[in-house]
Amino acid sequence: MIEAENLSVHFPRGLLGPPIKALDGLSLEVVDGDFFALVGQNGAGKSTAMYCFLGLLHPKSGRLRVMGRVPELGSRLYESVAFLPEEPHYDLYLTVEEAVRYYAGLYGKSLPAKTIPDVLERLGLAEFRSLPLAKCSKGMKQKVGIAQCLIHPATLVFLDEPTRGLDPIIVRLFREVLREIHQRGATIVMNSHVLSEIEMLANRVAIIEKGRTIAQDTLDNLMHLEQDSYEVAIEANGDVPEWVSVQARQGPAVRGVIPAARLRDFMEVVCQPGWRLLECSLKKATLEESFIKILREKTP
Amino acid sequence: MKELLKVNLRAHLLYYRRSRLLLAFALVFLLLTLLSALPAVFSPSRAAAFSAAREIFDMLNMFLIAFSAGLGLFLISSHLRDRNLKMVFTKPCPPALWLASTYLSAIGVSLLLNATILVCALAMSLLGHTKVQAGLAFVSADTFAASVGMIAYLMFLAMVIHPVIAVVFVLIFNPSTFYSLQIWILAVQSAGAKSVVLRALERLFHYCYMALPMVHPFSRQTQGIGQSLHVTPGQWPYLLYSLGYSLSLAALSYCLSLFFLQRKKLI
Repeated sequence: MIEAENLSVHFPRGLLGPPIKALDGLSLEVVDGDFFALVGQNGAGKSTAMYCFLGLLHPKSGRLRVMGRVPELGSRLYESVAFLPEEPHYDLYLTVEEAVRYYAGLYGKSLPAKTIPDVLERLGLAEFRSLPLAKCSKGMKQKVGIAQCLIHPATLVFLDEPTRGLDPIIVRLFREVLREIHQRGATIVMNSHVLSEIEMLANRVAIIEKGRTIAQDTLDNLMHLEQDSYEVAIEANGDVPEWVSVQARQGPAVRGVIPAARLRDFMEVVCQPGWRLLECSLKKATLEESFIKILREKTP
Repeated sequence: MKELLKVNLRAHLLYYRRSRLLLAFALVFLLLTLLSALPAVFSPSRAAAFSAAREIFDMLNMFLIAFSAGLGLFLISSHLRDRNLKMVFTKPCPPALWLASTYLSAIGVSLLLNATILVCALAMSLLGHTKVQAGLAFVSADTFAASVGMIAYLMFLAMVIHPVIAVVFVLIFNPSTFYSLQIWILAVQSAGAKSVVLRALERLFHYCYMALPMVHPFSRQTQGIGQSLHVTPGQWPYLLYSLGYSLSLAALSYCLSLFFLQRKKLI
């Protein structure tokens, strides 16, 4: 679906300063049906990469193909592309309904009369249909963006920080919509700082740092990197061994983490009289932990 | 393609309808016209009434050219400032088509206002029992041609530079400025000053005068029509030349605007 090899994008920094390397040899591959997440620190190059995929920026060097073609603004390639920008840069002089109609109309295909009212109804925009976008809150503008993504059954959907600044209700609704689009068969490329959200939605993740891809794998593989410890809860009758990393303690009850290599020793300890094992489970690594670990390992 | 053009035209027309800046611009023009025409309107003689109608017509046409140029300028600059073009071009709508729709919408509105002014002038002539002059149609068509050229020129400038700088540029670097400078150099030369620098400057100002877009490129040949509203048979072809000049200017501005639009960072 997307093939990027060694993409470089440089932004000028004044007349004399060296250019800023927004992308510095970025390579990644998104395959059909992926829910692909771009993860990285601020300024890592996630948005720049997405703008390249969308044809809004032209890489200085490298090879880029989106659905087998070089993205060129306004081309037929975009008949099957939907894009939700990070900032709601919409035509603010239009009302909610006019904006959705306008963006839907740009696909040049006529829609059944019920499509737009139904989408507005679903996203809770029906009662605000005649409100100018200039007077809408950020959340409402974002809903307009979601609506224009929903109108046409896109094959490839780009989402740039889609939930930034949105309330939990909208975020939840948004997640439902995304799952629905993905289940419909669309490939989704999302760029987000909310790693818990990526955990819930994505199946493949690329970690970008300083304009390069430092890791790209399935979410499961990335999250299994931390599967070398156990979370335990015990009632201790004496000193807790030093290799138990205590996280909480209330009276005799102790909650902590032990290295997998110490599991046998741990069992011997809790089998002693007066000790009680309450819980012992393989520690589930979060994407956040994996992300930080990979960043530490792969960046100087 | 037709559908895309229609969708974009509709959006641009909504922009014109809702732009407070354009509304304020139009109101100021109308107010100025009314204020300047007020004394003449209350004049009892028919000659004075004719003169008043002609003055209002002249002023409205002059304002129409400025207003039309403003339509293009505001439309392009507001879209670039609001950075909403990324929403348009990440759909199957090519920049060439969007740009064409902006030109067409501004030209359409200008034509509509032009026709309204002409109809009002004709109505005033009929109400004032003065003879309907062919000059009204000539001036109106010439104003429309000038508006087309100015819309295109200002759209191009708005694409390249900040709108305020664009306006300042048009006000300062226009053909009349360079014409005046050229005349001044010629006067200095005829007074006896001979130098290579003066000759080079005279040529430079001449080329600038020729290169910069003119509002009325054939004003010398059509001189007097605005005053008498009478057109001689030999003056009618200049209307076509004027339209040809404006269309050429519009085509050149369109190509240059498209070139810069495709290279703009729309993020």
